[in-house]
Amino acid sequence: MFEVGPAGEDGLRLVFLEAPHPALTRCLLRIQSEAEGYFGENLADSVVGYTTLTLLFHPFRLERDRAEAWLTEQADCPALADPDDDSLTGTLVTLPVLYHPSVAPDLEWLADQKDISVDQIIALHAGTTYFAYATGFAPGFCYLGDLPAELATPRLANPRKAVPAGAVGLADRQTAVYPGISPGGWRLIGSCPRPLFQSGDHPTACLAVGNSVRFEPITTQEYRNFGGEL
Amino acid sequence: MRQLVIHQSGPAASIQDSGRTGCLQLGLPPSGAMDVNGLASGQYLLGHSADEAAIEMAYGNLLASPTEPCQIAVTGATVDLRIDGISARMHTVLRVEAGQEIHITPGATGIYSYLHVGGGIDTPEILGSRSTSAREGVGGFDGRRLMNGDRLPLGKPTQLPSSRNGDLTYIPPGDLIRLRFVPGFQYASMQPDATAALCENDFVVTPKANRMGVQLEGSRIDTGIETLLSEATTHGAIQIPPGGHPIVLLNDRQAVGGYPKPGAVIRSDCRRLAQARPGQRVRFSLCSPQEADRISWLEQHYQDTRLL
Repeated sequence: MFEVGPAGEDGLRLVFLEAPHPALTRCLLRIQSEAEGYFGENLADSVVGYTTLTLLFHPFRLERDRAEAWLTEQADCPALADPDDDSLTGTLVTLPVLYHPSVAPDLEWLADQKDISVDQIIALHAGTTYFAYATGFAPGFCYLGDLPAELATPRLANPRKAVPAGAVGLADRQTAVYPGISPGGWRLIGSCPRPLFQSGDHPTACLAVGNSVRFEPITTQEYRNFGGEL
Repeated sequence: MRQLVIHQSGPAASIQDSGRTGCLQLGLPPSGAMDVNGLASGQYLLGHSADEAAIEMAYGNLLASPTEPCQIAVTGATVDLRIDGISARMHTVLRVEAGQEIHITPGATGIYSYLHVGGGIDTPEILGSRSTSAREGVGGFDGRRLMNGDRLPLGKPTQLPSSRNGDLTYIPPGDLIRLRFVPGFQYASMQPDATAALCENDFVVTPKANRMGVQLEGSRIDTGIETLLSEATTHGAIQIPPGGHPIVLLNDRQAVGGYPKPGAVIRSDCRRLAQARPGQRVRFSLCSPQEADRISWLEQHYQDTRLL
């Protein structure tokens, strides 16, 4: 089930009315790539969200009826025929993480809450391959899922005013790394010393929607070698 | 090298052009001039192409001087403009000698004004644009707003400036700005009371207004939607956070968001809203995509006839 509708006067939005799923994301990424070819220079930008694809056109370049018909046709996606296919086939990105109370204010709290050891938390968090479902509120931020159910935890009632860059957080069945200093309500269990977003002349993010992601525990010394500050 | 030396930058001056495309998936906003008419008329006056950059000022406050003679034009919201202390006109090409001081101070209405310099501001293009996305540290001058003492590289003028007035003069709003919006996103899943309240009540522009967006205050809108999966935001999208006060998202918005949106305000009304000072009364009304198209064509026609 899906719907196609406007995203403002120059945009179209395709939304699938189902729960997020790697196969769905792959379908959205495929349509995004087809759209770039089909609409060419007319297309100004496009974004894959959890269950949505938003196409934004340059002014006067959206021929709405034709574009809606095309998008409707594309949404009939063979990849969705097999909803059990949750294989993680995207490029694998491995992020180093220091799991230590000095950089992770909620690590021991979470161990208490779940009545397991810090080592078990690390084993669970670093022992899972995650899927990058959507980019987030800032460049380099990616929502990763699914967090093992044993670690699922609600957000802070009062978000922190400043979460440091590199903080590895948990919320519900999701995990993510904060690319820069920002307010944040996720529980923090580690710190990744590798920059998630680099500005400069050629801005790049190290995660993209559709990637597979793993976290690799590192020592305090390795954290420092990566340029991490304690 | 030809430079423009910034003696006083004011609080929120930055380099902007028509903005960046194709970077939302990376998490970068489009940025670009908040008042595209202000940008376009200066480009026309100086014979610039549509992708030249200018200095955008908020509540115009700038003191600058060129290291070599150059031609300038100031457009957008009305400001007081002086060259070496002598009052000068906006919306016309002016010659400024090396070392002369261009001094811009706020006028009575509007927010965003533009200082264009012949040859353009020649900072590097990052991902296809010179626009500054200050929060992300991308583009413009070192990825940030201008500061006192900055020396901006200037391009070589390749075109003769226009001999006519390219006047898309900023027209101060009346008592009420209409915010016509194309419904979409979560419009159909919101409580009918919420969408009705949005259109039936006037709202007021609050001081929480900047390049990211404009927060409005009026009756609180209860969308009835609790959680939402993150998706793209668009220019003009009306975002309603749990507090119930709508925010119209503009050029430096976060590329992706998780708050419900009943639709997106059309381009021409966004431009008026961007120039609205706190206290301005606004009213939302529904607009079909077809009607939005007609309005855009009319505005484009108006612009074409003014800049011929």
